[in-house]
Amino acid sequence: MSLVSGSTARVDLRRDLGLVGWQIRYEQRAYWRNRGRGLFTFVFPLMFLVIFASLDKGNHISALGGIPYDDFLVPGILAYAVIATTFTNLSIQTAILRDQGVLKRMQGTPLPRWAYVAARIASTVLVTGVMALVVIVAGIVVWGLHFRIGALPGVIVTLLLGAAAFTTLGIGLVRFVPNAETGPVVVSLIVLPISFISNVWFPTNSLPSALRQIAGVFPIKALADGLQYAFDPRNHGAGLDRSALQTLAIWTVIGIYLMLRFLRRPQGEQV
Amino acid sequence: MAIEVRDLRRSYGEVEAVRGVSFEVARGEVFCLLGPNGAGKTTTVEILEGYRERSGGEVSVLGFDPAHGERGMRERVGIVLQQCGIQRDLSVAELLEMYGRYHLRPRPIDEVLELVELGAKRDERVQELSGGQRRRLDLALALIGDPELIFLDEPTTGFDPAARHAAWSAIRSLRALGKTMFLTTHFMDEAQQLADRVAIMRDGEIIALGSPDELGGRDARPAEIRFALPRGLTLEDLPLMPYERCLVDGERALIVTAEPVVALQLLTGWAIDHELALGHLSVSQPTLEDIYLELTGSVQDNPSRQEAIA
Repeated sequence: MSLVSGSTARVDLRRDLGLVGWQIRYEQRAYWRNRGRGLFTFVFPLMFLVIFASLDKGNHISALGGIPYDDFLVPGILAYAVIATTFTNLSIQTAILRDQGVLKRMQGTPLPRWAYVAARIASTVLVTGVMALVVIVAGIVVWGLHFRIGALPGVIVTLLLGAAAFTTLGIGLVRFVPNAETGPVVVSLIVLPISFISNVWFPTNSLPSALRQIAGVFPIKALADGLQYAFDPRNHGAGLDRSALQTLAIWTVIGIYLMLRFLRRPQGEQV
Repeated sequence: MAIEVRDLRRSYGEVEAVRGVSFEVARGEVFCLLGPNGAGKTTTVEILEGYRERSGGEVSVLGFDPAHGERGMRERVGIVLQQCGIQRDLSVAELLEMYGRYHLRPRPIDEVLELVELGAKRDERVQELSGGQRRRLDLALALIGDPELIFLDEPTTGFDPAARHAAWSAIRSLRALGKTMFLTTHFMDEAQQLADRVAIMRDGEIIALGSPDELGGRDARPAEIRFALPRGLTLEDLPLMPYERCLVDGERALIVTAEPVVALQLLTGWAIDHELALGHLSVSQPTLEDIYLELTGSVQDNPSRQEAIA
């Protein structure tokens, strides 16, 4: 008896994973069809990269052992780009889908909720991957970003863990977004101030230690630190910044908790 | 039974939106929940659909408890919500393909498109559809999984008369396929046209339940004979007739009678003998709307309506 139900469960799981694959395709098709959304996500980080990099006239950062400014800036912008495509994008879009009733409609279908959420996260991570590749390649080609093949594990692990933390946090945040219009405001109120004290735009060594300690709690600085570590020309090895990865892992757990809190209640009760 | 509800209750804080509602819906039946805004219709239907939690009572939908949100139930139930967004950047056919994949045995896309008369819009994106077309897509998405039971929450609100009749014919063809339908509406004619049974809801309770023809004892109510009283005549000039009430308002006369056949024979015989033309002569039963307004107490709130009856 248990053997039979075990094998049907396996068949169900295989079918559901197939559904996740199909759903990723539909999400991707819809994403790239909406030019405004694509441009918004892609243009902003690249624009900041061009503007901030143009301020640099071959400077070196003495506080960071004299590394070239671009070796600091490009990973910082990369961190921002990851946050923009995951946290910002998912929370704003999910609040819109909730207010439009799309989430409610999806809840009424036989597609398991986990499969829908998994597909949206996977689709988002695909976009983040494209974005990261664009920033890294542009960084290497245009701004002479130093990149060691040996540090590739560090780059990939940090990006993936960052994506895990910021996708789950992005969906979890929607519980605190009263309606779709306030989505961008809530996200900006969180991302902008914290990013300014988190090594994203400029080195924060000269900031008061209280501010640096606050920034140290949040995952934005961990992501920027982790990526800057992986791209730092002075480092050897796999490029894994343990303390940054640890912070990102903790925030992934918090993100999953918040996400499940948001997803647990039926959609009719979420008004 | 497709749906069984016993003593269903739901409160929001201090407010009791649904106060002990019980009813059953048989398989293949079209059941309509009728009531003014705020009567608790949407709360009731969303509890049945699994979108809301109940505070008390028992609910069974196709043998499932909707509070558990089981996939087996969602596989067999189609839902048309009151206002519900659709993924905007996909075309009609892509959406039907996508939603069809969620089901084990989806209906063919073209068959569903034909049923809701949306074949011409196959490749249009959702954002290019009109409001009525979008509503038909709503219905199509609910039907793609070939459900046994379909919930329709105010399916024709905002439709023009032609679109409403098209929707009614779609619902009738679903009924012919043996589907069970649970409908909410605040249009009397919709309930009258479509429903096998109607439940009237007011202040969280069902105050009347029956077929549209029998509701509130409608078939047993006295008939109303209306005509224009010829000039110069008064109530006293009319022949003797069996009636409950007889009213004259200017030229217009109204006779309320339990024996319309006898009354009409006497009235028309008298008119022929005196060579009188009775303008605007009509005989009618109270409409479902009259019963509804009486039961929901809306007549008192609406003095112009009272005048119209008299």
